[in-house]
Amino acid sequence: MNPRPWWRRAGHAGLLLVATVYCVFPIYFMFVQSLKTAQEDVFGNPFIVTNPTLENFEELFERKGQPRNFVGRALRRDYPFFVWLENTIVIFGGSVAITLAAGVAAAYALGRLQPPGFRWWRRAIFATYVVPHTILFVPLYQVIIRLGLDDNPVVLLLVYPTMALPFCVWILSAYFQNLPREIEESALVEGASRAAAFYRIVLPMSRPVLIAAGIFALGTIASDFMIASVFLLSEHNQTIPAGLATMEVALDELLAVAGINLMAIPVVLLCAVFARGYVRGLTAAMIEGA
Amino acid sequence: MATAYLLLAPATVLLLGMLAYPLGWEVWISFTDFSPLNDHGPRFVGLENYRHLLADAEFWRAVVVTVGFAAATTLAKLALGVAFALLLARPFRGRTLVFLAIFLPWAYPASVSVIGWYWTLSPPIPTAYSPFMGTLKYTVDGALGGGAWAFLSVTLFNIWRGSSFIGVFLLAGINAVPPELFECALLESRSAWRRFWLVTVPLLRPFLALAVFLSLTTAFADLANVWLLTAGRVVFPVVGTQAYWLAIKGGQFGPASALSLMLVPFLLAVLALLFRAFDPPAEARA
Amino acid sequence: MAQVLLKDLNKKYDEVHAVKDVNLHIRDKEFIVLVGPSGCGKSTTLRMVAGLEEITAGEIAIGDRVVNDLPPKDRDIAMVFQNYALYPHMTVYDNMAFGLKMRKFPKAEIQKRVQDAAEILGIQDLLKRKPRQLSGGQRQRVAVGRAIVRHPQVFLFDEPLSNLDAKLRVQMRVELKRLHDRLETTAIYVTHDQVEAMTLGDRVVVMKDGWIQQVGEPLELYTKPSNRFVAGFIGSPAMNFVDVGIQGSDSSLTAQGTGIRLAIPPVNASQLGPYKGQRVTLGIRPEDLHIAAGGDQAGYVFDAVVDVVEPLGSEILLDVKAGPNSLVARVEPTVRLKVHDGVRLAVNPDRLHFFDMTSEKAI
Ligand SMILES: Nc1ncnc2c1ncn2[C@@H]1O[C@H](COP(=O)(O)OP(=O)(O)O)[C@@H](O)[C@H]1O
Ligand SMILES: [Mg+2]
Repeated sequence: MNPRPWWRRAGHAGLLLVATVYCVFPIYFMFVQSLKTAQEDVFGNPFIVTNPTLENFEELFERKGQPRNFVGRALRRDYPFFVWLENTIVIFGGSVAITLAAGVAAAYALGRLQPPGFRWWRRAIFATYVVPHTILFVPLYQVIIRLGLDDNPVVLLLVYPTMALPFCVWILSAYFQNLPREIEESALVEGASRAAAFYRIVLPMSRPVLIAAGIFALGTIASDFMIASVFLLSEHNQTIPAGLATMEVALDELLAVAGINLMAIPVVLLCAVFARGYVRGLTAAMIEGA
Repeated sequence: MATAYLLLAPATVLLLGMLAYPLGWEVWISFTDFSPLNDHGPRFVGLENYRHLLADAEFWRAVVVTVGFAAATTLAKLALGVAFALLLARPFRGRTLVFLAIFLPWAYPASVSVIGWYWTLSPPIPTAYSPFMGTLKYTVDGALGGGAWAFLSVTLFNIWRGSSFIGVFLLAGINAVPPELFECALLESRSAWRRFWLVTVPLLRPFLALAVFLSLTTAFADLANVWLLTAGRVVFPVVGTQAYWLAIKGGQFGPASALSLMLVPFLLAVLALLFRAFDPPAEARA
Repeated sequence: MAQVLLKDLNKKYDEVHAVKDVNLHIRDKEFIVLVGPSGCGKSTTLRMVAGLEEITAGEIAIGDRVVNDLPPKDRDIAMVFQNYALYPHMTVYDNMAFGLKMRKFPKAEIQKRVQDAAEILGIQDLLKRKPRQLSGGQRQRVAVGRAIVRHPQVFLFDEPLSNLDAKLRVQMRVELKRLHDRLETTAIYVTHDQVEAMTLGDRVVVMKDGWIQQVGEPLELYTKPSNRFVAGFIGSPAMNFVDVGIQGSDSSLTAQGTGIRLAIPPVNASQLGPYKGQRVTLGIRPEDLHIAAGGDQAGYVFDAVVDVVEPLGSEILLDVKAGPNSLVARVEPTVRLKVHDGVRLAVNPDRLHFFDMTSEKAI
């Protein structure tokens, strides 16, 4: 193809810039605020930080910042941020693991073993997305009390996977369905049992799709704060999103923004590390096993 | 086949366990006058709740707003997502960075970014940007009615995050299409616009369909988030928040259940249409 | 090394009866080729031997063991698939070593066997690569290498060359043949390509619609096809078929078709006697037709019009019309003829084939 004229390239670059700014600016903005002192927050330029400080982050873990002048010390609450962080890691990690385990099993059954009616089964699983969640937690609460899991973080390990499972089952089963049967059959002929063929061949070669499903699960789970806020009432059981939602923003705005960033950074890093794998996995799910 | 059912069990049990009873309860309650405020248990009232709703102007306003919101955000997300995907489709210097930037809004946990957005757009305390945001809010609310600004901020947030997801998703879709097909299209039509509609869109159909559906469902989830955040200050009624309001604040579980179920047939119909586009094709036997 | 016995083998899917009463005795060290049009049940038969497909009825024995209920891993076979089925996440070395590892061979032995196989196939330099870094031909070699490292009793090939381009296919065909001569392992080879079948097979099995049509050495299939299907399937360009009526007295029978009238050679006369007054199918291979010269007997020539001329260099294929019948003749490259030219053709009277109209069996 001919080299593209300069104005086409400039246009492309311009669009890239616009897209980047559009995507990154809100996050940049939140990040900048979290580095500010109270002083600068009120009087400084909102777009930049001149005296970056980590005190907001430090304060999350142990309150040692000076009380602000216009707020009485008595009004300020302590936040068990460290506990929230722990809960979040356990619940997110656990939910992603459960989603993947249940999702891979179901997807393998649907995409490869194809029991009678597998198409409808898969559609039914996907169709659970239409269930309206708005007031679903009222009856869900009854289920949870019946299970004796009231105000117990384990609840989320059961609820979160249901949010990511349908999509994960969908892409994983599309992948398994497209995967040439012969690869597995070859392993069988070579001396593997069905289980060994799955474990030693199918699973490792599906890595990109597993990453895609895992990242999707993480992104979905990390987007919830409603279920977490509704079901986890006591402070020491909450996850970061649920906890942040209980903060008194008027008093602890900077603290909250720091908390947002602290929660986001590991998730974003994980996503960034696996971003390429995520795209590759989604692609692989739609064409034959790449 | 026994193995197949065994493998399907965990996912199915999880989904049924968490959804079947609650959904069944909701359907049942929608035919009753159940309310924790009553001293009697749920009484069967037949289609009364539904009949009531259909005659209620407020309900229809909510439907219009909800469908409008879902349609508008989905269209915007699709347009932006397609643009992102096309921008990233060809290699160029710095592509990885731009790709990560576009991935960011989705990767950034929405549970906290929605809080951040809301506080940024409606700052609770005097910060440096509060006066500006305050004026904006005042102007918008003044022009469109109270709560308009909050609603707008949810809308923008939903588009911002969704376009990121769809962009990356469609990029994966473009990668799934053999490049020869695009090259073929290049020979057949010189107009980029025609090429886009005649080749790119049909090739990406399954991805687009899946994206549309996920966009619709997340649109409703986001609305619920904001309702909680603003403690009901979203004045534009949408079906989800109205139901929430009826149930939690009004204790009227019957009408609330009926209301929240109203969208299910609509979504199912959309889904049935979309399944035709994105169902994995039957495996060809050699 | 072993013989393979298929006894009354049947395979039924829900709607399709894919393999019907197949009986076959594959001898030790034999290279046998299953050939037939797509969908005729070749792969299904092969996959039943491999244990990848359940047997609906019948019996399969490898060596002297009935293997019906053995899983693939216990049948001591190796298989090469059309799409190669290499493990994409493993290097070439690991691909080839996988079967040996699963069978718990000692490391040194694995190393040695993989090296040997790689040497035979000329892929020593590729051992560290992943399959996606290989060309189609290289992948094919790795797939074969994976099969030979285990020294199995039987090789199974399912269209292993079909994904290669024409040139590479010819080359690999020769190599496979050489490999078999060297290893002397019993091999069952499936293909839809009759040239591959003829060149590779010690014996060839022609299948159609799940039935075995004929089993025989390549030349036997060519010269004595047992029915019209085999006659048409084997040989390229395909045999010409003309509907004719058998007429005349016992001493001088003729085959009368529209636009063609040929005397029936004495070799065929006795079998065709009972068909007097009936219609049969006459089969003439293209190379058994030539431009009539003085030496040809009057009874064995007919007139035709040239329809298409296909010069191939070493020969010319003439598509001609004799009345409504289209025939292909393979003639000398020196023949100069143009479209619409009239031409007098003669048949080789020793090589005519006749088929019953209803049973399609050779007469
Ligand atoms: N798993 C299957 N389920 C249903 N029908 C099948 C299956 N595998 C093959 N068939 C059918 O069985 C017949 C024989 O197939 P196959 O043995 O693959 O033919 P080929 O000779 O081309 O290798 C075909 O009609 C095919 O459609
Ligand atoms: Mg086949």
